[in-house]
Amino acid sequence: MDTGLTLNHFLAVSGILFAIGLAGVLIRRNIIVIFMCLELMLSAANLTLVAFSRFNTGANGAPDYHGQVLLFFIITVAAAEVAVGLAIIVALFRARETTDVTQIASMKN
Amino acid sequence: MPAYALEIIVFSLGLVLLLVDAFAKLEDKRSLAWLGMLGLVVVFGLLFKVEPRAADDANVFWRFYSDSRMSLFFKGIAILSTILVLAMAIDYRGLIEKFTAPAEKKAHPQAGLGEFFALPVFACAGLMCMASATNLVSIFVSLEAVTITFYVMVAYMRRNVGSLEAGVKYLILGALSTGFLVYGFAWLYGITGSMDLAEIGAALKSGDVSPTAALFAFSLILVALGFKVGAVPFQMWIPDVYQGAPTPITAFLSVGSKAAGFIVLLRLSAVFLGSEAVAGQVAMAFAVVAGLTLIVGNLTAIPQSNFKRLLAYSSIAHAGFLLTALAAAPRKLEAGQLSSATVVAFYLGAYLLMTLLAFLVVGLVRVHRDSEEIEAYRGLGKSSPFLALALLIAMASLAGVPLTAGFFGKFFVFQLAIQGGHWWLVTLAAIGAGAGFYYYLKVVAAMYWDDPTGAAAKAAAIPVSALTRAAVVTLIVLIVIAGFAPRMILGLIG
Amino acid sequence: MQQEFIPVLIQIVIATGFAVATLIASVLLGKRAKRNQMKDSAYECGMLPIGEGQARFSVKFYLVAMLFVLFDIEVVFLYPWAVSFKRLAVDGGQLVVFFSALSFIVILFVAYLYALRKGALEWKD
Repeated sequence: MDTGLTLNHFLAVSGILFAIGLAGVLIRRNIIVIFMCLELMLSAANLTLVAFSRFNTGANGAPDYHGQVLLFFIITVAAAEVAVGLAIIVALFRARETTDVTQIASMKN
Repeated sequence: MPAYALEIIVFSLGLVLLLVDAFAKLEDKRSLAWLGMLGLVVVFGLLFKVEPRAADDANVFWRFYSDSRMSLFFKGIAILSTILVLAMAIDYRGLIEKFTAPAEKKAHPQAGLGEFFALPVFACAGLMCMASATNLVSIFVSLEAVTITFYVMVAYMRRNVGSLEAGVKYLILGALSTGFLVYGFAWLYGITGSMDLAEIGAALKSGDVSPTAALFAFSLILVALGFKVGAVPFQMWIPDVYQGAPTPITAFLSVGSKAAGFIVLLRLSAVFLGSEAVAGQVAMAFAVVAGLTLIVGNLTAIPQSNFKRLLAYSSIAHAGFLLTALAAAPRKLEAGQLSSATVVAFYLGAYLLMTLLAFLVVGLVRVHRDSEEIEAYRGLGKSSPFLALALLIAMASLAGVPLTAGFFGKFFVFQLAIQGGHWWLVTLAAIGAGAGFYYYLKVVAAMYWDDPTGAAAKAAAIPVSALTRAAVVTLIVLIVIAGFAPRMILGLIG
Repeated sequence: MQQEFIPVLIQIVIATGFAVATLIASVLLGKRAKRNQMKDSAYECGMLPIGEGQARFSVKFYLVAMLFVLFDIEVVFLYPWAVSFKRLAVDGGQLVVFFSALSFIVILFVAYLYALRKGALEWKD
């Protein structure tokens, strides 16, 4: 099935996703939203991996599965990161009653 | 015994510690730390019994794993620092208990303490895997194993706002750097078609790869690892996280996490520097980052009045020296010349000894004087001469006074930079080292010359347990040995 | 290929355009009333607002959800393992392939025992 989609289409979408995620991390102030944007960045990397895996075909035309293996590990690590991260955020929320990053800073130079 | 058995043992040790903590009704959880240290000492001994990979060993596992001398040396660094961190954690347990004890009255006051002794062991297993990782997948997984364990450890004091804030900052910036790293890895894999560092290096060398795409992947990876090692402009999290985290963890972070970042950076930079098409730009990028890190790290350290924060800036400054060694990597190694990997390994080994020694004293002063300000160290030379001497040696070595480990670390970096003809980097490093003398010796001056004020004037000597005393003496001896006979350490690196 | 999607694009443009236009029109044409707490509260019928807008969940929900996610994700590794088992398990490699997956399960089992023992799955307070 030829959909006319090339590697560049996928790379462009994943690049945009990565940029959106990065912009969100830099601009947003709610930690939960920042955390979602971080996951978006990981998803962008995943999309890049799958795209490269699909288009770097081997001699028999099968996709190069190495990229997909890394993808599985990224998904797992992201889950572990979310579990730990949300726990820390919940603990901070209980201590400070806020999820706004501009309000949590207490240490000074 | 093959090298990977060590990681399996350390990881199993961590699991055993968790299970013992959960199932055995321990009255005093310090025994967990003792068990962990004992296990790690055994593993450290086994390090010298490792048999190299058999020539006919065709296990696919070796595609992910290297057992070179260098990786064994880094494994030694990881194990040694974990043992010392556990020793520090025993002294520091009072504060951990205070901020983690359950609210219920009848609960055991040490109920939240067990994992604090088990987590460093898991981080150690991750660090050891990373020392041997030669594949993007194994690098990623071991790096994340270490990072996620550190998220938990930094935020461990869950009723202490400072620790939690440090945890959240480390979490957000750590996850951000993971995002960059993975995206960089995805591109590196995409343009070379391989996850194996040797194959990636060959592909980059062959010239079939677009240099623009290779540089894009490199810059993403440089941003990610810049966060991990604390290179300017990605260093902003370091002071707050170092200050907020429990002191033993800060020590672990500044040694273990930095060593981990530099192993990966060494491996990946070798891949890029091997390619004619991009080597020039890559070395230039390293040089710029190294120069910035040297200047910012050293100059912002000068006005600090909190000792833990000072050590955080000092950690940035040392990252600058290490990056200088990377930037000055010789294209072709001449006979008798040290490779930049050897210099980095030696520097990290020396940095481990002196930083852990400094943090040992910081932790004790924090527990007994309830302060981390430099003012609290006034008069320490009179009230606790042993600790003051330890801190004096740590500071002298960090500053790079001759006949200490730190001197030869800096000496080799300068040698490499001068041989490579990087004169402006040499100038910046010299300015940085000069500033270092000022801010490290400020602490020494406070200990020996300044009269104590307020509560510190009446403070009694700080009690030092036998274990801590043994750790301090070992570190001092090692610093002096490395300062007199650096060739011994270089021989270990191979 | 791309031309097939042009109707979709038109649909998206019209939908967003209509929504945006309505919002702008209501801002431009509508009278800006002064708001106060009295006006914002319910009148004639309905309950007076009490408490916070979002109810807090017990942190226990979160704990169980996280444990579920962590144990659920293990399938990510077992599925490819199962698919490639036959191809890997040749020349007496069955035991290696089997035990490598088993060791993975054992680690998860240890984690489960730990969570169970620490009371992460208990509901009563």
